[in-house]
Amino acid sequence: MQPALSFEQAPPISVPYRFFLTAPVFGAVAGLVLAWFGPVALQSRWSPGALAMTHLIVVDFMLQAMCGSLLQFVAVVAGNNIWRPHLVASLVHPMITAGAVFLATAFLLEQPILFLVAALVFAAALGLFLTVMAIALLRTPARGMSIHILRLAVFGLLVTVALGATLAVTLGLQADAATTWSLLAMINVHVAWGLAGWALMLVIGVSILVVPMFQLTPAYPDWMTRALPAGLFLILCLWSLQLFAPKDTVQAWQSGVALAGMLLAGAYAITTLWLQSRRRRRLTDATFILWRVAMLSLLAFAMSWVIFDLVPQLGDHSRAPLWLGVLALPGVFLSVITGMLYKIMPFLNWLHLQQQGGSAIPPPNMKQMIPEASMRRQMWLHITALGLLLAAVLWPALASTAGLAFFASCIWLEWNLIGAARVYARFRDKIRAAAVAQHGTPPI
Amino acid sequence: MPEQRLIDGRDLLPPEPLQLALEELASLAPGEELTMLLRCEPLPLYSILEKNGFSYRSDRKPDGTSEVRIRKA
Repeated sequence: MQPALSFEQAPPISVPYRFFLTAPVFGAVAGLVLAWFGPVALQSRWSPGALAMTHLIVVDFMLQAMCGSLLQFVAVVAGNNIWRPHLVASLVHPMITAGAVFLATAFLLEQPILFLVAALVFAAALGLFLTVMAIALLRTPARGMSIHILRLAVFGLLVTVALGATLAVTLGLQADAATTWSLLAMINVHVAWGLAGWALMLVIGVSILVVPMFQLTPAYPDWMTRALPAGLFLILCLWSLQLFAPKDTVQAWQSGVALAGMLLAGAYAITTLWLQSRRRRRLTDATFILWRVAMLSLLAFAMSWVIFDLVPQLGDHSRAPLWLGVLALPGVFLSVITGMLYKIMPFLNWLHLQQQGGSAIPPPNMKQMIPEASMRRQMWLHITALGLLLAAVLWPALASTAGLAFFASCIWLEWNLIGAARVYARFRDKIRAAAVAQHGTPPI
Repeated sequence: MPEQRLIDGRDLLPPEPLQLALEELASLAPGEELTMLLRCEPLPLYSILEKNGFSYRSDRKPDGTSEVRIRKA
């Protein structure tokens, strides 16, 4: 008889799942926004449609998925329990969701008051989330590079939120932000910390553990796990100096700092692709391909940046930032997140069902949690949508088609994730029913 | 001489090593030792062992392998 083992490190399954199940819904809304606005949304990065789409993806899709993952990951990897994860999730999740709706609507309708509301809601939600995560990560007895990188990522989120809230308040009050800092410099620094200091740093920290573990690759070289996050952090600090440069001037050193960042990002992408090519079992599942797509997108992002820098006729084009945005958001981050969700949810299902049922009612096999064929088809739709989005930046007439493809891909992802949650619920109910039949009480 | 049990989880996908460990732990008699070879520190497993009356010792080998030796406390 298998002993009743305890898995107290893991927070309740509803903690991460509420974030995971919300994320793709807002990706689908972003797709609808593009389909509705069509080519107008792709005129420049400053169009209301482009700003709304961008924030629906980064704040709702990415932030939701990353907050959920971090709550789960830190609890298990850092080896200590996060303070009241259920309460934190119950407060943070609805506030982020509401904040994202306010922010996207503020961009679409250009309503100043909504920017203020969004800033207030995000400051409260992420203030709580960051405090809890910072305490857990600073107090953990666990060591290792992943923990250090997660700390840097949480700091990156703090800077992103602080600058984002300041920008939203500036827009909300219709104040002249240029009184202290140049608005463009604030946006540049906000975007860099959000994409590189928070999102990419988190992906790097997680990949050091999960790429070798779930894809059976060799480990990342030790020097790289040290140099990469430290270098990225240093580059972001240097990049932030533009806040203090004379207003509305582009400093020559900014270009050099950005190029150094692209070199680091490219080195990380190439290393990951190289490790994947040396995996010990020739498994080519959806997660593996999605990570590959993400790393190729990151490489394409870094190369495009360098080309835009060398050829100003291209770099100065109003749609150049949109090209980079598509490569970074659906290309790098949504590919990684989708690939990880396809591993994390089956794994969490298994872990929690194992805890409840033990050997009496063993959990279903990992492969039964989400059908592989459905994951692969959704993955190909995601890749098609990514291709169409890139094509739409070049030929905006394709915008609505690309938006609909992206909408369909997100809805399919949602369907797959709901399927995994339903498998969990079905087996949990079976275990409870068996316990009631045997002892008269359900397991806790 | 107590029986030596070994799980080489280095080329297994999660949660297979944990799954095999749970099966072995269920029948681990006092004095018996279970050795696990893994490519990472199995923190969730440590928590399970501590809370269920097992003692363990973990060593990091030069090739990066974690060798975890488990006994009933």
